[in-house]
Amino acid sequence: MKRLIYLSILFVGFLVWSSCEKVIDVKLDTAPNQMVIEGNITDQNEAQLIKISQSVPYTDQNVFPAVKGAKVTVTDDVGHLWTFEEREPGSYTSVPFKGISGRTYSLKVDVSNTQYTGISIMPKRVHLDSLSLKVFTFGGKDVKQLQVHYNDPAAEVNQYRWVMKINNVQTKRVFVGNDRFTNGNNVAELLYYSKDDDNKELLSGDEVQVEMQCIDKAIYNYWFTLSEQTKNGPGGGVTPGNPPSNINHNALGYFSAHTTEKVSYKVK
Amino acid sequence: MKQTNFLILFFLTFLFIPELFAQQKYTLSGTIRDAATGETLIGATVKLQNADHTFGKAANDYGFYSLSGEGGEYTMTVSYAGYLTYRKQISLVGDLKINVGLDPANSLQEVVISAKDRRNDNVKSAQMGLEKLNMRDLDNVPVLFGEKDVLKTIQLMPGVKSGGEGNTGFFVRGGAADQNLILLDEATVYNSSHLLGFFSTFNSDAIKDVSLYKGGMPAQFGGRLSSVLDVKMQDGNSKEFGVEGGIGLIASRIKVEGPIIKDKASFMVSARRTYIDLLLKASSDSSINSNTLNFYDINAKVNYRFDDKNTLFLSGYFGQDNIGIKDLFANDWGNTTATVRLNHVFNSKLFSNTSFIFNKYHYAIELLDKDNNARVTSLIRDFNLKEDLQYFTNQHVFRFGAQATHHRIAPSDITTTGNSSINPLSVENRYGLEMAGYVSDEWKLNNKLELLYGVRISSFSLLGPGTIRTYDAGGDIVDSYDAKRGSFVKTYVYAEPRFSASYSLNEENSVKASYNRNTQNIHILTNANTSSPTDQYVMSSNNIKPEISDQVAMGYFKNAKDNTYEFSAEIYYKWLQNQIDYKNGAELIANAEVESELLYGKGRAYGLELYLKKTKGKLTGWVSYTLAKTERQFDGLNGGNYFPAKQDRTHDLSLVGIYNFSSRWTFSANYVYSTGNAVTYPAGKYSTGGLTTYYYTERNANRMPYTSRLDISATLKARETKKYQSSWSFGLYNALNRKNPYAITFRDSKQDPTRTEAVQTSLFGIIPSVTYNFKF
Repeated sequence: MKRLIYLSILFVGFLVWSSCEKVIDVKLDTAPNQMVIEGNITDQNEAQLIKISQSVPYTDQNVFPAVKGAKVTVTDDVGHLWTFEEREPGSYTSVPFKGISGRTYSLKVDVSNTQYTGISIMPKRVHLDSLSLKVFTFGGKDVKQLQVHYNDPAAEVNQYRWVMKINNVQTKRVFVGNDRFTNGNNVAELLYYSKDDDNKELLSGDEVQVEMQCIDKAIYNYWFTLSEQTKNGPGGGVTPGNPPSNINHNALGYFSAHTTEKVSYKVK
Repeated sequence: MKQTNFLILFFLTFLFIPELFAQQKYTLSGTIRDAATGETLIGATVKLQNADHTFGKAANDYGFYSLSGEGGEYTMTVSYAGYLTYRKQISLVGDLKINVGLDPANSLQEVVISAKDRRNDNVKSAQMGLEKLNMRDLDNVPVLFGEKDVLKTIQLMPGVKSGGEGNTGFFVRGGAADQNLILLDEATVYNSSHLLGFFSTFNSDAIKDVSLYKGGMPAQFGGRLSSVLDVKMQDGNSKEFGVEGGIGLIASRIKVEGPIIKDKASFMVSARRTYIDLLLKASSDSSINSNTLNFYDINAKVNYRFDDKNTLFLSGYFGQDNIGIKDLFANDWGNTTATVRLNHVFNSKLFSNTSFIFNKYHYAIELLDKDNNARVTSLIRDFNLKEDLQYFTNQHVFRFGAQATHHRIAPSDITTTGNSSINPLSVENRYGLEMAGYVSDEWKLNNKLELLYGVRISSFSLLGPGTIRTYDAGGDIVDSYDAKRGSFVKTYVYAEPRFSASYSLNEENSVKASYNRNTQNIHILTNANTSSPTDQYVMSSNNIKPEISDQVAMGYFKNAKDNTYEFSAEIYYKWLQNQIDYKNGAELIANAEVESELLYGKGRAYGLELYLKKTKGKLTGWVSYTLAKTERQFDGLNGGNYFPAKQDRTHDLSLVGIYNFSSRWTFSANYVYSTGNAVTYPAGKYSTGGLTTYYYTERNANRMPYTSRLDISATLKARETKKYQSSWSFGLYNALNRKNPYAITFRDSKQDPTRTEAVQTSLFGIIPSVTYNFKF
């Protein structure tokens, strides 16, 4: 719903005033590199992955240094313990195991004399039914958008995150939702995708893959905050801040135990 | 304790009003009007003068004046900017009533006269922090699309900052946009913007007077922290029927006014509509011509003068915006206000106004997609009863009154049809009652010293029914119960002292000082910098404490060369308490527990304002400069340290020049420069979830690039005939075509995706406009 409000504002902007964009130089303060931990435990029987890297100054290339030599373990609330091995620099993997809905997973990372910890509860799985195409006509032009269909269970509070890949390239928009307005319904969620984000529209023949994750409340807050950070200034939205991480010691990133399901779709 | 002392002192003053005991005092009273139209003239100056005495007073908001003095022969002068001065020899040997009609000066005479007549008012009056907008300047100041607009012109005044390019939102002395009380004929206008802020709700054709109080707030006003924008509509010509209007690029306007019963009753109706969507309709493409984008508004007023003592006014405003995309989405919003007022003159010294006011702001968003259809509506509405009395004596104007306002906020109602993904939802209404009583005294102690002081006692009560939840700092419920209908859930009472004084060093120089406290109980939760149609209103409650501000200001005022130049310098410092922000990721829309998402903090704002105005000659205009800082502090934000508020801008400069080249051509220009807004830029970047994400450290620690813009316009008056006057206005907005920053976005470079770039979005390049205005 929020997305549609956003859409309308875009529309007005587009229709009345042809705004213009230019790349500018800005003076930025550079903070020291920060620890970034990305932990995922899925409900698939697979090697689970924890990545540890560092932030870099804004002016650098998008190459994020791997943090090597960390001691990484994950435990659950029924006494299991998995030790993660550094298979590639900064990438720590476990032996294959499957996360179970309802269990609480705890992450422990020991690196550079700090112990980072975080917990996440794996929610119940909600089945991704299908994907469908939605065509909007905008100023005489057809704009294709993808919708994801699922049946939200009425009995619990659900949060979702979707990761969309077009021709195997992940889109730059964060898709996140909850059932605040849709509890218990057959939901058709629009994954609003615009040319602004990825310099590319959705075209006939595109192979789209959508992964649906059921996430806990803290992880929802993380992605939701991230999704709100767009522009800066009087014309911009929210004052940006770091999304609230569920990992302590001011680490950036998250530790998410979530269910996952992937569906592919070829755009007609 | 302090407040009690203050009150005692106040009532003592009442008891020992010296002139109660004086002998042989008589009162001169009446009403000042425009002789041609019958419109009352707000603030016209009436003066009595003889060899021994000189004294004067300004007419009140309804043109009523009352002067008391010792019996004798006097020269009475009545003056008002833009009008010929009225002079009359009178003998005050008993109470006298003289109603005066002032003749408007033609434009050339005006140049000679206006300044002389308001002689040193700005210097002498105790009021400070007041900006009066001259409605005639408004006609000449160039604006975007040529649509003259009071809110855009007021942004050129010192201490008033624009909400963004072309935007009607404004910030006063470091306050937030929701801390301005915007009144149209006493009714609160909650959302004063059309078309997402590019136009204001005020159709300048219908407006008679605009005053902006930035500080030294008189006691009759309350309810907002930063400012009061008091907009008054015209009453309507009581002498003859007239039509005027304008045809512009974006909108057209028409106003009809005239007597219903000559000199007794008159009416005024003014309407405006945009026609962008009519252009859309002209398209043959159905996906274009079935979209909507428009706004319109109607101002109407009727007044009836029963006799010299009783006048009834009915006024109303209705405005609506509509935006829609076929089969996708529709959004409408608007204000409705209605004011009924009765003026009653009890006697030559006591003037009363009773008002009953209704106002409402609503919005509706409709999602038209079959799978996700929903209609979301929200409103805030007030009923307001006010009684205001003014008592005029020789040295004093006492003002006292009471107000009661009932608020209802319906935060969100969601309805759906058919098989929608979205569930119907209704967030329960909230009810509130605001009451206030006030007394104030405008006291001319002597030729040098003038005081304006008083106190406003204000209360706010959150009323039942409703589910009342109490949250701890973490946003978790610690208590919840159902309040009964009409029960008082929580009541706050505050005493708000107001004080200002002016001391005249001589006829042309004065110093002034003021202190005032204000409280606020209606708050807007917004993401955006300025008002947006979907602003969420909340009231003070068991969780939300009233916002409080204390402001001190000092100023130096000077006139030079017989009022050709008016200069003022003011400094202020403001303390803000119980300011509201919300947590990262807060969900504001349709959230019954929105109060759990809030953070409370404090603020401070201080600055220097310089203002130089040239009021006569062929070239008139002003220069205004503001040096300011405004900061906020919240425990949960920025590590608990003070950070610059979004509207913090260090320098703001406006230059306005109007050149009367000939009786037909007027040229004007304005130039604005301002420091960029405070924004938060990334301090680094990292990868999360497969995305390049930015790392932020200090909140609002960075600056957008500065804004600089020159606008010019030329007005050509067509040759007048007796029946018909018309003019053409040609304008160039942003004549230098500078790309001013509207937003800065960070993204992966399109050329080299491994790099990050900052992209500045600009809204308007050079924009020409042409408007045709007529009157017959």
